[in-house]
Amino acid sequence: MTQQEPVSIAIPTGALLNGALDALARSGLARLSAEELGRQLLAERDGVRVILVRPADVPAYVDHGAADLGIVGKDILWETPGSHYELVDLRFGGCRLVLAVPDSSHLDGPDTWPPLMRVATKYPRTAGAWFESRGQAVEVVRLHGSVELAPQVGLVDGIVDLTATGRTLQENRLRVTAVLGTSTARLIANQASLKTRTAAVQAVVAKLREAVGNAG
Amino acid sequence: MISRGPRFIRWPRPGGLFTEASSRPQLGTVPGFRDLLPAEAEILREAQESLLTEMRRWGYRHVITPLVESMDVLDLGLGVEQRRRLFKFTDGHGDVVALVGERTVPVARLVAGKLRSAPLPLRLCYAGPVLSTDESRFQQRRETYQVGAELVGASGPVADAEVIALAARCMEATGIRRYQIDVGHAEFFHGIMDAVSLPDETKSAVRLALAARDFVALEALLEGTPLKSAEHELLLKFPALRGGPEILEAARALVRNKRSEAALGELSRVRELLVDHGIGDVVNLDLGAIRDFDYYTGIIFEGYGPDFGRPVAQGGRYDGLLARFGRPAPATGFMVQLDLVSEMLTRAARPPALPRLDAAIAWTGSGLSSALRLASTLRLFGMRAVVDTESRSPDAAKDWWQAVGAANLLYFRDPPTVTWTAAGKRGRTLPAEQVAARLAGGDA
Repeated sequence: MTQQEPVSIAIPTGALLNGALDALARSGLARLSAEELGRQLLAERDGVRVILVRPADVPAYVDHGAADLGIVGKDILWETPGSHYELVDLRFGGCRLVLAVPDSSHLDGPDTWPPLMRVATKYPRTAGAWFESRGQAVEVVRLHGSVELAPQVGLVDGIVDLTATGRTLQENRLRVTAVLGTSTARLIANQASLKTRTAAVQAVVAKLREAVGNAG
Repeated sequence: MISRGPRFIRWPRPGGLFTEASSRPQLGTVPGFRDLLPAEAEILREAQESLLTEMRRWGYRHVITPLVESMDVLDLGLGVEQRRRLFKFTDGHGDVVALVGERTVPVARLVAGKLRSAPLPLRLCYAGPVLSTDESRFQQRRETYQVGAELVGASGPVADAEVIALAARCMEATGIRRYQIDVGHAEFFHGIMDAVSLPDETKSAVRLALAARDFVALEALLEGTPLKSAEHELLLKFPALRGGPEILEAARALVRNKRSEAALGELSRVRELLVDHGIGDVVNLDLGAIRDFDYYTGIIFEGYGPDFGRPVAQGGRYDGLLARFGRPAPATGFMVQLDLVSEMLTRAARPPALPRLDAAIAWTGSGLSSALRLASTLRLFGMRAVVDTESRSPDAAKDWWQAVGAANLLYFRDPPTVTWTAAGKRGRTLPAEQVAARLAGGDA
């Protein structure tokens, strides 16, 4: 098969963007500024094509082969498992997926949970699976933003949300009672790209792996 | 897991079909199911025909198994996950039945049942839709089409190579120009798992991480173990263990277990045979192929087309399946995802030319008799002809011709004359009996 096409890599807007651009720059693959990419959404440098997409869309671009590689938070991968390969922990964008309840709530450990727990989250699949694996009945309310608000107005008992510093939680008078998982940025690859364009794709993977000091 | 039930009940219930706001019935399909319109349907059908024709050339006999199978049969052959994704219901007798989610198990049932006395090896092929409740599996589709071939009762590299070569020729037969076949071996993986010194708990976690293609988790699992063998290294390098025959030498230097060594020997032999089959240049060896290792017992392979994010053909050796149906026999086979093939052909730089209508035949008054006679003659010559259902004026006939999209318009008038108009040309009037001969002769 021809190997002429540039290796394409989808990177997410938002919190991971600067880390992703930094990793690309340090690996010597592409030097791009957020402003430049933000204007064009698509840039090509020395045989690498960088595509800027929304974080939750990265797996879709990779799974369908529109991008050979993708940089995406592990939190997104929990929520949208697919047919891609998860290759490297890029070790930036660290944050935790936590169960948080209002400061005033009596809820704490599993023994204090009500028979049917109600939680609001942007991560319904992950939250549901986590409670289920602990034998806890749960009603998951899927929200698309401002999840912190939901327990304060009595919609739910608690929230499952991502937090890096914990500041937003504090500001909304919420406290963490459990950590569901720890997330960092991951490098994912399309399964067919690994098979049909092995050399080109593996070269990019190796450079990124080296840049983040992950020798494994 | 959140209950997924309600998500699928988007199809309006009978009472909701007609609403006051809109008196029109909802004409969509059930989510995950779709219509194939003529252009797409024709490409899919042609691809299916070319696949079955190629399989028959290799001595594979076509069988048709039902769309519905009893759960008792499917339970024997399918894993837990596959069973979970089946559309199940009860038939009139209260038995639980399901719509098939793949067609190898029905073929195994056939070989162990009705074909029990047929001498092995048996070469069988099939084509048909398969269904899955899980719409996340293949581009939100819950109905897909598969064409497959099974070689039951033959073990060893010659049989393995035959099926792989057949898969390659099948991809060619559909018109896919650039493709590659990746060949691996399930036993290579099993040998490594035997050899790594890990507690059973960690081993099953390793299997899960590999099945999820999660190498970050795999690395974390293996880093914590004290004894590191060459097999550890091999596991971590899994996605990169591919290439030409040289990869076998490299791997042979690393593995220290009999199972993996035997697998490498078999791979080497199969590769030689594939060169003899004439497909050496499209074959890659992939020691890191990740598949359902509970099901596959030997050589496994995948076919990839150009610029397409997923395998088009998949197959391998499954020596354990037939025994579950009471007729122990080695077996190997593969299936082609027909949807993917037709999608690939549709999106190719030069999509296959769809046969268009050769003639639109319009008429007025007594011209109808001649019109019908000409249509019969043209069809006899293998041409595609459509005759108008109503009498039209010459101008109205031209509009109808455009709407039908045929190469030629033939217009029969009341005193029997015919006007022949080819696309982009002026009409000519000539005797009816000359038209058929000239059209069939390619004179357009």
